Amino acid sequence: MTEAAAFAAWLGAAVIVLSDGRRGLALGLAVTTLAFAVLAWVVGRDALAAAAVLLGGGAAVILRLRAGADVWGVMPPGSTPRLVLSIAGGLLALWISTTLMTDPGAQLRFAALSVVGLMGARALTATESGAVLTALAALALAVAVAAGMADTGPGPAPFVVAALIAAGVSAIRIIEPNGA
Amino acid sequence: MEPELAIGLPAAGSVCVAALRARPRAAIAAGALLGLVGLAVIAVSVPGRPSSQLGVTLSLSTESRSLLIAAAVALALVVALAPFLVERATLLMWGLAGLAGMAVIAAATSIEMIIMAVLALAVMQAASAGRRSFATRIRGPVLAVALLALAAAAARSEGPSILSRLAAVGLVAGLSAALGTLPYIHQFDPDERTATSPIPWMAFLGPVLALAVLTRARDLIPSEGGAVGAMVIGLGLLNMVWGSVASWRTENGAAAWHYSFMADWGLALCGFGLAIADGERAALLVLYGMLLSRLPLYLWSRQSLREKRPNDRPINLLAAAMLAGSAPFAGFAARVLLLRAATQLYWPLAMVIGLGLLLWLPPSLRLGRSLGLPRGRQAWGVGIALAINLVIGLYPQPFLSLAGL
Repeated sequence: MTEAAAFAAWLGAAVIVLSDGRRGLALGLAVTTLAFAVLAWVVGRDALAAAAVLLGGGAAVILRLRAGADVWGVMPPGSTPRLVLSIAGGLLALWISTTLMTDPGAQLRFAALSVVGLMGARALTATESGAVLTALAALALAVAVAAGMADTGPGPAPFVVAALIAAGVSAIRIIEPNGA
Repeated sequence: MEPELAIGLPAAGSVCVAALRARPRAAIAAGALLGLVGLAVIAVSVPGRPSSQLGVTLSLSTESRSLLIAAAVALALVVALAPFLVERATLLMWGLAGLAGMAVIAAATSIEMIIMAVLALAVMQAASAGRRSFATRIRGPVLAVALLALAAAAARSEGPSILSRLAAVGLVAGLSAALGTLPYIHQFDPDERTATSPIPWMAFLGPVLALAVLTRARDLIPSEGGAVGAMVIGLGLLNMVWGSVASWRTENGAAAWHYSFMADWGLALCGFGLAIADGERAALLVLYGMLLSRLPLYLWSRQSLREKRPNDRPINLLAAAMLAGSAPFAGFAARVLLLRAATQLYWPLAMVIGLGLLLWLPPSLRLGRSLGLPRGRQAWGVGIALAINLVIGLYPQPFLSLAGL
């Protein structure tokens, strides 16, 4: 189950990288949120953390569906570099988390590293604010999940804070200086 | 309970100012009251005492507390003596929000909480109306967040030694990206409002953030202290030279100030990287100077820069002397301590730093002239900033003791 959740976290992040429309972005965020909630529950054994991720991520998904172009926008023309990034980023995260890092908990590491890497890249390369904000919401959740790699459990606090940030970030409406 | 109040009171003040913006006087009064109570709470807090009132362990260190106090005093100074064209309520609202964020960063006991605080602050700042696009403004802080998160993950995992080396690189690179120093200089628009420009990351939030990240780096990767120190010193030297030369040669006056902050960060990073008491003292004095003098002077120079009214009065020369780190100002004490620390560690480094210090004079003369002829509140402000810097330069020990050094 944790392996499937880790794969789903990467898949959701890849959909965010590959999407421009609000439906595609919301779908990616929803998949990542579900995967992180499962990991927080199963690996972290923290129901409150899992609930916080689910609520914060869920709110972010709903808010994302309310703004932006009402299309899926998955893999628009010219998205080959993004596809390559998603696959290469996933493979690199898989290699680092399973081969280079040797302690138990590879699923959690893979999920956190792949989502942090892909969302960082998405936020740095995107110009449309909806895509950047979706990437930031997923990035906040991934940072909280990465806190679970600590020897002493981080408790639910980082997850609650991350959930608040994810929902808050998705509620923001950006007014660009040129009126775009 | 003190760390929670240190965060909550400025945050509440910022919210009050935002809610009362239609009545600026009431907004400023409410914000100032809550901010001052917050400052008092920070000042009387017991450093190192953990508190978990909200389910998160928070604890203010002595050094962080001193920088928070300096930042709060700087905010009070720039709001109270803001130029007439500046909307004081807006300045106070952003300043208190920044102060609350800094208190979170200073009191957080885990690097993930620091990272999330940086992310929240970055989004808040980038989402406000400004001249640059949201995506452009968020870029530097997001890179910092991603690098710091990856570095923390690498530091926490077992594996070959390359992992802890990568963690060290990630932490230093992430810090540089957050501050906006070389090689991750944030895009700067000279005509943008200060609150939404990259200046708050360098000159207001930066000192507390740098201290927090470098302290966590020591805990996360204790075996890589030397590598972190070497990288921080390398970045410091690079920023010192680049910042001072660019501040001297650039055409735009506001950009010259931006580069001068970078040069100051070069000194501070060298001090932190040396990792001995004198180096830390030097870094702290540089950061006090940045918060209490350079940042207010930058704000007061904006009007004169717009009107292109440089001046060569004695006040301009005094400001130039202070910015250049001449005796008896705080910068001089910082430079002496830095050279002493570098000599203790490796004397050729002291020679390189000493040569770099000579580059400060031409840009400082330029920046001093850019203040124009300060009048009214601005003149009072420049006088107070110079006096504070002079007192720190003449009697640095009480200010260092406040930071436990």
